[in-house]
Amino acid sequence: MVALIAICVVFASQSEFFLTERNLTTVLRNSVDLAVVCAGMTIIIILGGIDVSVGGIVAVSAVFIGRAYQLGMPDWVIVPVGLAVGAMLGAINGYIIAKSRVPPIVATLGTMYIYIAVLFLVIGGVWISGLPGTLSFLVLGEFAGLPAGIWIIGGVYGACYLLLRHMPWGQRVVAVGCDEASARLVGIRVDRTKIQAYALLGLLAGFAAVLYVARLRNVEVNIGTNIALEAIAATILGGANIRGGVGSLIGTLLGVIFIKLTQNGLVLIGVSSLWETVIIGGLLITVLVLDALEGRRTA
Amino acid sequence: MHQRFLLLVGLLAAAILLGAVLSPSFLQVSTVAYLLQYVPVLGVLGMAQTLVMLSGGPGIDLSIGAIMSLVGLAIAALFSAGVPLGFACLIGLALGTGLGAVNAVLICVLQVPSLMATLATMFAYSGLALALTGGTPIGGLPEWFGMLAQGRVLGVPVHMWVIFIPMAVVFHILLSQTRIGSHIYSAGNDERAAFLSGVRVWRLRFALYCLSGAVAAVAAIMTLSWFQAARPDAGDGMELLSVTVAVLGGTHIFGGIGRISGTVLAVLIVTTLQAALQLANISQAWQLAAIGVLLIGSVMTDNAIGARIKARLRQRG
Repeated sequence: MVALIAICVVFASQSEFFLTERNLTTVLRNSVDLAVVCAGMTIIIILGGIDVSVGGIVAVSAVFIGRAYQLGMPDWVIVPVGLAVGAMLGAINGYIIAKSRVPPIVATLGTMYIYIAVLFLVIGGVWISGLPGTLSFLVLGEFAGLPAGIWIIGGVYGACYLLLRHMPWGQRVVAVGCDEASARLVGIRVDRTKIQAYALLGLLAGFAAVLYVARLRNVEVNIGTNIALEAIAATILGGANIRGGVGSLIGTLLGVIFIKLTQNGLVLIGVSSLWETVIIGGLLITVLVLDALEGRRTA
Repeated sequence: MHQRFLLLVGLLAAAILLGAVLSPSFLQVSTVAYLLQYVPVLGVLGMAQTLVMLSGGPGIDLSIGAIMSLVGLAIAALFSAGVPLGFACLIGLALGTGLGAVNAVLICVLQVPSLMATLATMFAYSGLALALTGGTPIGGLPEWFGMLAQGRVLGVPVHMWVIFIPMAVVFHILLSQTRIGSHIYSAGNDERAAFLSGVRVWRLRFALYCLSGAVAAVAAIMTLSWFQAARPDAGDGMELLSVTVAVLGGTHIFGGIGRISGTVLAVLIVTTLQAALQLANISQAWQLAAIGVLLIGSVMTDNAIGARIKARLRQRG
C-alpha cells in the first residue's frame, strides 16, 4: 500500500498527465481482464496450487468467442460460450491435478502447451479482427457515473470474497491450502474442492477473454502470453504465500493496480516499455526478500 | 526406474517410427546430423534442470533460459567492444554462475520458494536482455567460432563431441559414483534425514543453482556459435522445455528420483518428435501439443506404475 502511494507520487511528479481522470480510466480499462483473472489466481494460490496455463485458457476462450461472433451468434450466446469454454478448460486442469496427482506446475505447464496448440489450430495464424463492438459497453461504458470496469472488478472481487470468507467452500479451500492431509482426514473432499477451484479460475479466465474481446474487438495470435506471469506476480505482490493457506483478494487487487500503474507510468515518463519486465521482476524479488527477512525476524 | 527406461526407449522408437511414416526423407543419414544439431543446447539445460530438481526442496530453475539469453548478449557485446572471444566466453561463464548465485542466495539463504524466486529472476533477466539491447540481436562474431556448433566430425556436430557427451558422462558419474551424487539423492529424498546424517543440504543446493547458471552460459556459447549472433530472446521457452525433458526423463519434480540417462533419452525423444513433425511440414501447434501430452502423460504413467508397485508390495506384506 505504501509502495502504491509512493509510485503514484513519483509518476505524478514526473508527468502531469498521470493523474488526469482520462489516464486513470485508461489504466482501469486495461487492467480489468488481469484483475478478473487474478481473483481466481488468488484462490488457487490459497489452495496451495498454481496455474501457469491461464494465458492459454484466456486465448482459447477468446478464439471461441471470436469464431462465435463470425458465425453471427447473438451476445447472449457468445458470453456463455466464452465462460463455458474457460470453465471447462479449468476443470480439465483441476481433474488432472486432483485425480492423477500430477503436481500443479507440471500439469498446467503441459495443458498450457496443449491450449496454445488448440489456439494455433483454430486460429490458423491469422488474426480474427473487425469484430462488432456490441459488448464494448462492458469495458468502455459507464454505469451510475462510474466506469463499467469498476463495477465489474467490484462484482467479481465481492463475489469471490463472499465465497472465500463467508461460505463453507472458502473454508475448505483454506483448509486444503494449509494442510491437505489433515483436510482429507476431517472429511473434506479435497479432489472435488480442487476441481471446483480450478474450474472457477477457468470461468474467470473465460470472463477475462470476453472483456478482452469487448475491449480490443480482435483476437491475435499472441493473446494471453503474459497473463499467467503477471497474475502470479500480482498475487504474490498482494501478500499471498506460494506455499498455500495465506492470501488476500484485496492485496491482490492492489498488486494488479500496482503493476498496471507502473506500466502506464513508465510509458508516460518516457521509459521504454522494454524495461517493464525488469521492473516487475525487480519488484517481485524485493517483495520476496522483504517477506523472507520479516519471516526470519518473527521466527 | 528400469521400467521408466524401457518406456522411454519405446517412446523414442515410436517417435522415430512416426517420423518415418510421416516423411519419406526422415530415415536418411542427413536427418540424424540435422537432429543432433538441436540436441546439445536443450540437452545441457535439461541436465542442469535435472540436477536442480533432484536435490529437492522442491527445486526448479525457471530462469535458466533467461540467463542463457543474457549471457549470450554479454559475450557478443564484450567481443564487439574488443575483448578477445575466448576471454569473453570466460567472463560469460562467470556471469552465468553469478546470475545462478543470485537465485541460490534467494532460495538457499533467504528461503524463498524456488518457483517464485526463479520466476522473479526470469522476469528480471529476460527483461534486462530485451531492455539493454532494445530488442536487436548483436552479430559480427568471427567465422571460425562457428566451428563449435556448425562443424562436424564423423558426421556428428562438434559441440556434441566436446560439450554434450562429456557433460552427460561427467554428470552421470557424479550422480551414480560419487559421494556428492548420493548426497544429492538423499537431500531430495528426505531433507531432514539427510541433514541429520551430515549432508549440508543447503550448501549443496546453493552449488547446484550456481552450476545451473554456468551450464546456461555454456548453452549460450553453443547458440552463439550456431547462429553467429546473440539474440535477446535466444533462451525464451527454454525454461519450460528443460523442465519438460527432465520430468519426461523420469526426474521426480519433488526430487530424489531421476537419472541423467533418462533426461538424455527424453531430449532425444523431444527433438526427434520436433524434427519429424517439421520435416512432414506439420504445423508447430502439433509439436506444442505433443510436448504437452508427453509431459502430463509421462507423470501420470509414473504415478500409476508407482501405485501398482505399492499395492503389490502391500499384498505380499
